[in-house]
Amino acid sequence: MATAAAHLLGRLALSWLAVVAVAFVLLRFMPGDPVDVFLAHVNVRSGPETVAAYRAQWDLDGSLAAQFGRWLVGFATFDWGVSFETGRPVAADFVARLPYSAAIGFGGMALAVAGGFGLGFLAAHRPGGVADVLSRGLAVAGQALPAFAVGVVLLWVFGVRLRWIDAFGGSLVERLLLPTLLVAFFSMGSMARLARAGFGDVKRSPYYRTALAKGRSDAGALWRHGWAAGFLTLIAGLAPELAWVVGGTAIAEIVFGVPGLSERVVQAVNHRDYVVIQAYVALVALWVALVLQGARLVRRSLDPRLS
Amino acid sequence: MIRTVVAAAGTAVVLSMLWVGFGPGDPHAVDLSNRLAGPSFAYPLGTDHLGRDLATRLVVGALPSLSAVMIVLTGGLGLGLLAGSLIALAPSPLRDGAQWLAETALAVPTLVTALVLSALFGAGVLTVAAALLVTSWAPYALTIGALFDRVRGQSYWKATRALGSTDMAAIRRHMLPNVWPALGALAGADAGRAIVLVASLGFIGLSADTGRPEWGAMIHEYRVFLFTEPRLVLAPIVTCTVVTVLLHLLLDRSALR
Repeated sequence: MATAAAHLLGRLALSWLAVVAVAFVLLRFMPGDPVDVFLAHVNVRSGPETVAAYRAQWDLDGSLAAQFGRWLVGFATFDWGVSFETGRPVAADFVARLPYSAAIGFGGMALAVAGGFGLGFLAAHRPGGVADVLSRGLAVAGQALPAFAVGVVLLWVFGVRLRWIDAFGGSLVERLLLPTLLVAFFSMGSMARLARAGFGDVKRSPYYRTALAKGRSDAGALWRHGWAAGFLTLIAGLAPELAWVVGGTAIAEIVFGVPGLSERVVQAVNHRDYVVIQAYVALVALWVALVLQGARLVRRSLDPRLS
Repeated sequence: MIRTVVAAAGTAVVLSMLWVGFGPGDPHAVDLSNRLAGPSFAYPLGTDHLGRDLATRLVVGALPSLSAVMIVLTGGLGLGLLAGSLIALAPSPLRDGAQWLAETALAVPTLVTALVLSALFGAGVLTVAAALLVTSWAPYALTIGALFDRVRGQSYWKATRALGSTDMAAIRRHMLPNVWPALGALAGADAGRAIVLVASLGFIGLSADTGRPEWGAMIHEYRVFLFTEPRLVLAPIVTCTVVTVLLHLLLDRSALR
């Protein structure tokens, strides 16, 4: 078990380093030197010593490998550099924004899991029924509808037509409710289909028939003997969804103007603020690697045949 | 039955596109005396806040999305076939390397890649396609690798090899027919993802040229009319969704059953 964990940790570190290094090299080979861009932006006539000073300040001097090494050490010690654009430290900025992104992401996923589990149970209980059709429709909509368009429509229905929610000026909960719903909407369909498949397996099994023969009701037998199976298939599908939720929260943050991480990154993209982008890529890569390898570990401990 | 409906719907979409595309409309023609006009014969879907023909803008706006789909499908399939053959047939270090690379690429969030690449190379269809390609080749490669592995255990594969057929001939004759259906399902999902991503980036304001019609940019531009003229916002959303579903059904045969 300990060696397996060490092996997973090694894979995790390797994947993370590969992604971060590729991003680092790509960002350094960008057209447009950040120092020149900055000096042109603030309209300063600059000599070579000014340029050199800024290079040193922004860690842009020395060889590429040395720069990457310094950046890695800095990342590990929460010194993530200073934004070219705002002049503020990136780490502090991100720490202030992370709670918003995390609230939307985790809230949305929790909602999707709970809703998907219930919907999957109902769909398996009555195939072809309302819940089955609804879950199928949700799954197709999650694939075919652009998330931002759904966000705009949500805003229209709840914020303007019904006036239930003040999406921009209300309390914190009010402002985060619609983005959370948006994230949940795009995962709930596939979650429901997965749970339905798990429950469906149970329905075909002999022990389910035994439970029926004992005199349990359809729904009672399916719930009592099937909830674990439904939940397990759902957990298997949860890992990639959790890893990808970053993209979903990004859209939600942009549409609803939530001051989260991804919203900051879109600004950074427009201003070519590479320090911010680099830190963001490193964070997202770390998150994805952690979730996927963690899920692998969980699956292995649940089912020893996999290792 | 469903297949006939899909075929009919596809034909209707193409015909209406042709009619509008070669019709009277110019996507940039501003006519301020005819602002926010309702649907009429000259303007099948009415006009927008500058008096431009909505239908023509929708059809012209398909161009970035469809070209991204083309690039992603051909590129992803080509790279996936190459890497999949490596995973199935190459010697051990190369094979493990390709497998690891595919599994790593699979985990890259597409929207994040698209954002980073837009910062690097500027926004545009090519950027979107590249961002999708970073991830989209990997499922093809892993599927092809797994299926090739399975076929290699079959007796007809051993018989073909024993009869002395070349690698390429054996792959074309016995491997590819086995993988097409699985690849179709992947391609259907990819095409939809490409369209949605192009529209998403257009909405954020990262499409190549914000003046040119593009579905996402149109939704962004018209979103202020959501309350007064919902037609303007709903038309691009509906078009985007219908095209995504049609492409999915077209490419993924199993979805029709």
